[in-house]
Amino acid sequence: MRHPFKKLYLILMLIFLYAPIATLIVLSFNSSKSRAKWGGFTMDWYSQLFQDSAVMNALYTTLVIALLSALIATILGTAASIGIEGMKKRFRTFVMGITNIPMLNADIVTGISLMLLFIALRFTMGFATILLAHITFNIPFVILSVMPKLKQTNRSTFEAALDLGASPFYAFRRVVFPDILPGVVSGFLLAFTMSLDDFIITHFTKGPGIDTLSTKIYAEVRKGINPEMYALSTLLFLTVLILLFLINMSPESKTATPSSIAAQIASRTPTGEVSFSQKTESRRGSRFVMRRVLPAAIIVAIAVGGIFYSSQSGSTSDNQVIVYNWGEYMDPDVITQFEEETGIHVVYEEFETNEIMYPKIKSQSIAYDVVCPSDYMIQRMIENDLLAPLDYDNIPNISNIDSTYLEESRQFDPSLSYSVPYCWGTVGILYNKTMVSDPVDSWSILWNDKYKNNILMQDSVRDAMGITLKYLGYSLNTTDVSQLEEARDLLIRQKPLVQAYVIDQVRDKMIGNEAALGVIYSGEAIFCQEENPNLEYVIPKEGSNIWIDSWVIPKNAQHKANAEAFINFLCRGDIALKNFEYITYSTPNKAAREMIDDPLIRDSDVAFPDPSELVNCETYRYLGDENDALYNEMWREVKSD
Amino acid sequence: MIDISKSFGDTKVIDEMNLYIRENEFLTLLGPSGCGKTTTLRLLGGFEQPDAGQIIFDGQDMNSIPPNKRQLNTVFQKYALFTHMTIAENIAFGLKIRNKTKSYIDDKIKYALKLVNLEGFEERMPDSLSGGQQQRIAIARAIVNEPKVLLLDEPLGALDLKLRQDMQYELIRLKNELGITFVYVTHDQEEALTMSDTIVVMNQGYIQQIGTPEDIYNEPQNAFVADFIGDSNILPAVMVRDRLVRILGVDFPCVDEGFGSNTPVDAVIRPEDLEIVKPEDGLLTGTVTSLIFKGVHYEMTVMSHDFEWLVHSTSMSEVGTEVGLTVIPFNIQIMNKPESEDEEAVAIEE
Amino acid sequence: MRRPSQLKNKKLLAGPYLFWAVAFVIIPLIMIFYYGFTDNNGAFTLTNLAGIASADNLKALGLSLVLSLISTAVCLILAYPLAMILIDLNIGRSGFLVVVFVLPMWMNFLLRTMAWQTLLEKNGVINTFLSLFGLEPLALINTPGAIVLGMVYNFLPFMILPIYNILCKMDQDVINAARDLGASPRQTFTKIIWPLSLPGVISGITMVFIPALTTFVISDLLGGSKILLIGNIIEQSFTQANDWHVGSGLSLVLMIFIIFSMMFMQKYDKNGEGGVF
Repeated sequence: MRHPFKKLYLILMLIFLYAPIATLIVLSFNSSKSRAKWGGFTMDWYSQLFQDSAVMNALYTTLVIALLSALIATILGTAASIGIEGMKKRFRTFVMGITNIPMLNADIVTGISLMLLFIALRFTMGFATILLAHITFNIPFVILSVMPKLKQTNRSTFEAALDLGASPFYAFRRVVFPDILPGVVSGFLLAFTMSLDDFIITHFTKGPGIDTLSTKIYAEVRKGINPEMYALSTLLFLTVLILLFLINMSPESKTATPSSIAAQIASRTPTGEVSFSQKTESRRGSRFVMRRVLPAAIIVAIAVGGIFYSSQSGSTSDNQVIVYNWGEYMDPDVITQFEEETGIHVVYEEFETNEIMYPKIKSQSIAYDVVCPSDYMIQRMIENDLLAPLDYDNIPNISNIDSTYLEESRQFDPSLSYSVPYCWGTVGILYNKTMVSDPVDSWSILWNDKYKNNILMQDSVRDAMGITLKYLGYSLNTTDVSQLEEARDLLIRQKPLVQAYVIDQVRDKMIGNEAALGVIYSGEAIFCQEENPNLEYVIPKEGSNIWIDSWVIPKNAQHKANAEAFINFLCRGDIALKNFEYITYSTPNKAAREMIDDPLIRDSDVAFPDPSELVNCETYRYLGDENDALYNEMWREVKSD
Repeated sequence: MIDISKSFGDTKVIDEMNLYIRENEFLTLLGPSGCGKTTTLRLLGGFEQPDAGQIIFDGQDMNSIPPNKRQLNTVFQKYALFTHMTIAENIAFGLKIRNKTKSYIDDKIKYALKLVNLEGFEERMPDSLSGGQQQRIAIARAIVNEPKVLLLDEPLGALDLKLRQDMQYELIRLKNELGITFVYVTHDQEEALTMSDTIVVMNQGYIQQIGTPEDIYNEPQNAFVADFIGDSNILPAVMVRDRLVRILGVDFPCVDEGFGSNTPVDAVIRPEDLEIVKPEDGLLTGTVTSLIFKGVHYEMTVMSHDFEWLVHSTSMSEVGTEVGLTVIPFNIQIMNKPESEDEEAVAIEE
Repeated sequence: MRRPSQLKNKKLLAGPYLFWAVAFVIIPLIMIFYYGFTDNNGAFTLTNLAGIASADNLKALGLSLVLSLISTAVCLILAYPLAMILIDLNIGRSGFLVVVFVLPMWMNFLLRTMAWQTLLEKNGVINTFLSLFGLEPLALINTPGAIVLGMVYNFLPFMILPIYNILCKMDQDVINAARDLGASPRQTFTKIIWPLSLPGVISGITMVFIPALTTFVISDLLGGSKILLIGNIIEQSFTQANDWHVGSGLSLVLMIFIIFSMMFMQKYDKNGEGGVF
């Protein structure tokens, strides 16, 4: 080594590559949730991780799908390779071209195309669709791993076998197949890895309640980072390390270098020659590992997981209810209690905004049983004939709901036949007393240069546009183009001051003192104040949005009776109280309110504000498709600036 | 090269080697695989650095001089042509580096291609040429730079027999025409004998013998050299006194002296130097045990005194015949038994 | 006699795969074409494709192009010297060092990106570190720079491997020949090593550029949703705005870029030497 610079460069690169991973590992042992402070060593997150059934289920699903799809892809792919090899040149080039498509195409296009197919065929999105998708993108990898080996295989050995009297099948099994085996194995491993790590394609082809590890992580990360994730990533890293170590002991030769095998697997593109040679020296020990230990380990893992998984998911019978709700919007204990009391299995899926939820309901690609949209969205769904009228005989507990809110509901549900109120609240500004020196009583503070990069806005078209319109003195239901353009321009002007457009993350960020000001829902505010006493909530004087989220049942629901039982359950005083204490959003349930222990909260200004504060507040209304498109366009222009 | 040593890892490939190379000579490094000949060449070329010792070129110490600044050029074993350039660009490479004018370069290219009998190949790509043609281009590329010394690393190894022989003549012709020193590496002793002015026989990092082809062939200095060059009959013997050696209990007059009396030595007799005569006329008698027609001669083995003698003769004797073997004293070569593994060569003052 | 039946049997083996490919690769693509060229009423239209020319989409596409080109360039500049150093050090060709550099790729893609969130946040690790020295915290996250950083981090190994492999395969004697003929180290690099390594370079570029161009996760997690890339727009048009036709149209436009990249790669690497192996 002549130049110290070379070593230095290497070290710098290593640091660059491993710093994030090292950080994750360190943080996984950090007892403090904060990313900046070390709170002491703990293994808590690991134990919590294993108790988190959602994550464990996702892990199991991921493994099963990876294994199954890799297996099937290997069988189909190997057969295909043999078939392709026997084809005439022109046809072969054509087929290889098709094979290359999923690999070279952007994941997003592949995912979308499959989603379109499944919806057109009216497949229910779920485990099966994910499996089909994974097999589809796995097969090319298998083919491209096996084909070079086939080419390398000496034609004459096959013919020699035939000459010696073997049937073609026997010759294949005994002569050709062992020769191409390294290619088959590496194809399998490649497919397995591809499937394990896939996110984008799974994202588009999955159904409710089913998550792979990647999609689960994605959902979690957008909500705000749970330290369990750090533990999970550390474990994954260790697993990979062990896997690589095992591969290093595989029966491939030293000259082929196990590292090159690992490298090709990791890089996931087997274009070009795969250069194994068959010289093996340390075969004994490694062969033992590969042939006996590894498969045994896999089988044990699956068996254990299977027992675990099935114990978790309970009955697979049809007695279930598929719930589609906002994130962090229900106490998990409530769900468990419901299942215990009624024996109905709850499949629970979350969405982030009304705008994400609506297309799923409209396309009817997934048959949810009960959904919790917001006021204006319910109006839109009614007008688009997407909802089933409720049989209120099945929901006697509705009497617990304060009639004020039922009356309010008529704004979007005129005949009061489709919805049952769940939560309500306002939109306002949450600010950190220690970071904001000016008085906070107007939306204008969000445009104050002083707080550049300290402002969090909601990543939601109606909320962002709405508060801006209010600030300008207009109605947040306006359809006046010039007013909308004014709002858009104002938002564009605000953009450099905005730290981020977020949804659920506002909460964690404000608690963590990451930002000084944030637009937030009143329900979150209470929780935030509990966690960080420096936070205050205010509804600006220009007025704001007052909203109601209610339960509705889509027309194509498969378990309507169960859905109504679910809604009824939620209207029980004690259950509503439980939910209130968990999600801290204002409840319309008067029975629950009476049961609130703490007078500070029962009469809290934030949770139950005085009507005088609400005088300038409006509920969102559904504005029709064209105006929706208009709002969307304005918002898009803001985002892409 | 003075006291050159070179190791790779734990293996000492060359141990305190000393070698003189004269101007304009065709010097061949000859030996089996792993003997260190390629390493020696690479040391000369500057692609390896010696662990100890010096390389002096024209009075100048070369140790600190990188390959691109040395006034020698190398022809590599696998030609190492630049596959992304045309033949003309390949040949011109060294010249362009030295900023020669375009007309100079063009002339040189033409000259070089003519020299190697590949005129008109300027625009071809290396991949489209046969092995022999690529080889000649590699040579052309090296010589256009007018190096003082040309290093050739087993350049003919990949060619078939006929082509190889043609190329051997070409190389000699080139050397004479260009008047530069050739340092040639090969494991093929016939090649070495054909082309060289001087042969350096190497084994395991040591020089076994330096000499002209005739010297090496006729008067090998130790068993290794004798065995490596040509076929031979090598036997342990006892030097009774000057000019008399006892082999297999039989006294043979020979011409070597200076080995002392009753000294154990190695004796070498070339198969073509053994004559088959009537049993009563021979120094030894024995039975013919095999007979193979080799075109140029018959190759026979004669069993005598428990030793299988290899005999080359233009006349044949049937298997099973009793024959006599005789050899003129001049054709017995006496060599010292090796005292140890080390056989150091002395710098030859020529 | 035996031949034809063997061949026939062989070809049949590929049948299931062909069926699968048609069903799950060709037909879905046709569906994208269909959605891309039609509007909500099923009538033929080019507006979806023309939608790429709208100000927002053009901006997003332009931004995506710029960021992915920058990321690709950065990857190349970082990876090439790294590959050369690895070759230098790897006398035993044990490949251990290569494994070390490839290992991060095995981590889940999302987690790797999330890790950068942790580092780049306002109160994240880097800023905390800086504050130890009394330095001002930097606004690192939610910037285009953060997105480039995320892209480079995720895709760097894709650039290292093909370059490393092609350098590995390079005949050492060719380099020696260049030196022998008088080339300085710099000249050896520019005239010999670089041209001969091009297939690997091209392969690396393609493997970085296309994913970088079409990603939406990285801009989501590290761009704070402030920065819309073309991938984001397409993703949102399907999951949020229910605008499948527009989304498909944009996807088709994106595919054109991909096809161009493929053609580009074909031109420079006819023999397919530039593969990752």
